[in-house]
Amino acid sequence: MPRITGNGTTEGLEAIVEANRGKPGDLLTILEQAQQQDPRKYLSESTLRYISTQLQVPLSRVYSVATFYSFFSLKPQGSHVIVVCRGTACHTRGSLALLNEALARLGIREFREEEENAVTSPDSFATVRTVACFGQCALAPVIMIDGKVMSRMTVGKLVAILEKLRKGGGV
Amino acid sequence: MAGNEITITIDGRNVAVDPSLTIVEACATAGIKIPTLCYLKNVSQNASCGVCVVEVEGAKSLVRSCVQKPTPGMVIKTFSPRVIRARRTAVELLLANHPTDCLSCIRSGTCELRQLADTLGVKADRYPKYKKFSPPDNSSEGIVRDDSKCILCGRCVAVCAETQTVHAIAFTSRGARTRVGTFMDRGLAQSSCVQCGQCSVVCPTAAIAEKDESREVFGALGDPALTVVVQTAPAIRASLGEALGLPPGSLVTGQMVAALRRLGFTRVFDTQFTADLTIMEEGSELLERLQKGGTLPMITSCSPGWINFIEAFYPDLLGHLSTCKSPQQMFGSVAKTYYAQKAGIAPDTMRVVSIMPCTAKKYEARRPEMDAAWDWWKEHDADRVPPRPFYDVDWALTTRELARMIRMAGIDIASLQEEDFDDPLGRSTGAATIFGTTGGVMEAALRTVYEIVEQKPLASLEFTQVRGLESIKTAEVPVGGIKVRVAVAHGLSNARVLLDEIRAGRSPYHFIEIMSCPGGCIGGGGQPVLADLERKQARNQALYREDQRLAIRKSHENPAVEALYREFLGKPLGHLSHELLHTSYRPRPF
Ligand code: SF4
Ligand code: SF4
Ligand code: SF4
Ligand code: FES
Repeated sequence: MPRITGNGTTEGLEAIVEANRGKPGDLLTILEQAQQQDPRKYLSESTLRYISTQLQVPLSRVYSVATFYSFFSLKPQGSHVIVVCRGTACHTRGSLALLNEALARLGIREFREEEENAVTSPDSFATVRTVACFGQCALAPVIMIDGKVMSRMTVGKLVAILEKLRKGGGV
Repeated sequence: MAGNEITITIDGRNVAVDPSLTIVEACATAGIKIPTLCYLKNVSQNASCGVCVVEVEGAKSLVRSCVQKPTPGMVIKTFSPRVIRARRTAVELLLANHPTDCLSCIRSGTCELRQLADTLGVKADRYPKYKKFSPPDNSSEGIVRDDSKCILCGRCVAVCAETQTVHAIAFTSRGARTRVGTFMDRGLAQSSCVQCGQCSVVCPTAAIAEKDESREVFGALGDPALTVVVQTAPAIRASLGEALGLPPGSLVTGQMVAALRRLGFTRVFDTQFTADLTIMEEGSELLERLQKGGTLPMITSCSPGWINFIEAFYPDLLGHLSTCKSPQQMFGSVAKTYYAQKAGIAPDTMRVVSIMPCTAKKYEARRPEMDAAWDWWKEHDADRVPPRPFYDVDWALTTRELARMIRMAGIDIASLQEEDFDDPLGRSTGAATIFGTTGGVMEAALRTVYEIVEQKPLASLEFTQVRGLESIKTAEVPVGGIKVRVAVAHGLSNARVLLDEIRAGRSPYHFIEIMSCPGGCIGGGGQPVLADLERKQARNQALYREDQRLAIRKSHENPAVEALYREFLGKPLGHLSHELLHTSYRPRPF
């Protein structure tokens, strides 16, 4: 039996698993939807265990997939997600400045980029995440905020968006 | 298959090869050894390392010979300058992040990476280091994983998932952060890992190795207040020589005893003594289950990796396990009660060291319930109860650890005169010897059960149907009017086949032998590394040679075991047997 430690999401999870079971790529789809339906937008240990038992996929394999794709988060995420591209093109066009500005504005003191790829602000307002490349190098620097890709980003534009988000607005 | 052969050109020579082989195998049949790293025959084939590249005429890029097959007329160069450069670069990239630890490394003498670097003449420090590593995973009793030595070849992942179907480890994360890890990176102890150590046998480097306890044992040997006795598992006599550089299959029983005495063990005993004892108990248990309608099939319980496996994956079938402890644990409880009392040794000043082909034995020795001797002293001799609880077995060392100790002590095993085991716990039979290979426990049990029931000697002692290295072996043996149906499996993927039959209610067997490791103990996770089929076969043959050589070949004829029952235990399955020689199991969720 799956050991679900009640975070209230089991029911939604059940439906997701049943809707996708046996389809090609079911594990990936289920993980994606499970993260989407979680209030904190992450894959908790109990979620991974449930999916493993239901699909009869070993835990290590589920974990392997969940850690391979950078869009999965194993830690609770903030209400907003800011993804900064750290590919070469974006880097040469100033993505480090964007990253540092976002971290500073969100009150995140430390982020060791070479060791982790995501960090959440202490107030859970936002998660900052880096990716190796968005594949949109012509439009560098590129960032993505709450699912929306924005090209030729500048520090000024970023600050404006963050302020808007603070006031409860969307992107 | 001479009919199907095709002709290809290898380094300018025309050679006829079997087209179903890969280029690497085809070249091997032509006497050319192409280096490989991520590829390991019968274990893994993921074409990730690029060490095996060759040049094929007409192909733009170099070809990975571990996966590509030859086609008729193919022209292959296995050592052109371009090939050598590519191989060297592949290894140099692997070494970029690798610690330069070879001098103090547990795999110093047996490391494939080091050998490869040597063969290819690589230069160190050609590429910058860019990786950070977490500290080694020491969480389990049996094995240690050290990421910093891992070259991500994937052999361990493959053996754990496919040969053992345990799936304790997998590649996690990606890019420069890729590593081999467990679920939630909690470490092996919290995972489904059964401690079988098969990963440590296939790993080309020191990234997975046995937890080395030889220092602790040297420490005990140097302590004059202690009596340190040693027991040796059956399979060690057929592999210790190999671990020390003798040809595979060298049988070194007498030299091993001599070497252990030189190392300073007070008494050199034999796990084979308690293998015979196991047959007495397990054989009686089988007969009782057959006669009284107990749970069948009954399954053997001497392989601790296998016990860990059934506790984790088939907890609903635990009732099928024989309640007999393994010979290692029977030895510990008999040594610290019967023998300690007989020899007048205070049990808390006695240390039992076992030499095992197995990493899971380390875990087994530390199971909390494995302190039967302590319980016995509390009940039977209130005046002499030792002040602190103690384990029945203090340390279980692998073949590899013993080989290192022997080397460290400067003992040349080949030049030693053969010596005999000590009495009484060093007496054993040929039946106990073959415990060390798949099918051996079954054969030993059949020899004894048959003669006890039929009250007449067997015409032939050899039960050849249960011998050999095929995955699952079965036989039908008439005993006392019943056709006893038996099956033997080794390697946990094979065990699953028999277990699924039981679960589905269609297992035709009465008695099943299961060993965690492919080949049984001769292929154990603590044995000399990188054992291919030929090496395992040589070790297997060595044990059958030993069986043939011994004067007594049936467990129930072991005079020291008879004496143990007469002087101490009473009868098989008696009250004291239950206290000292039997155990219970519990589900192991992970
Ligand atoms: S694993 Fe091999 S190459 Fe690495 S330090 Fe040990 S002996 Fe040297
Ligand atoms: S010891 Fe066995 S079960 Fe554990 S990780 Fe290694 S191969 Fe897998
Ligand atoms: S631990 Fe060993 S076998 Fe496993 S991937 Fe690393 S180097 Fe290969
Ligand atoms: S051995 Fe062929 S790619 Fe690694």
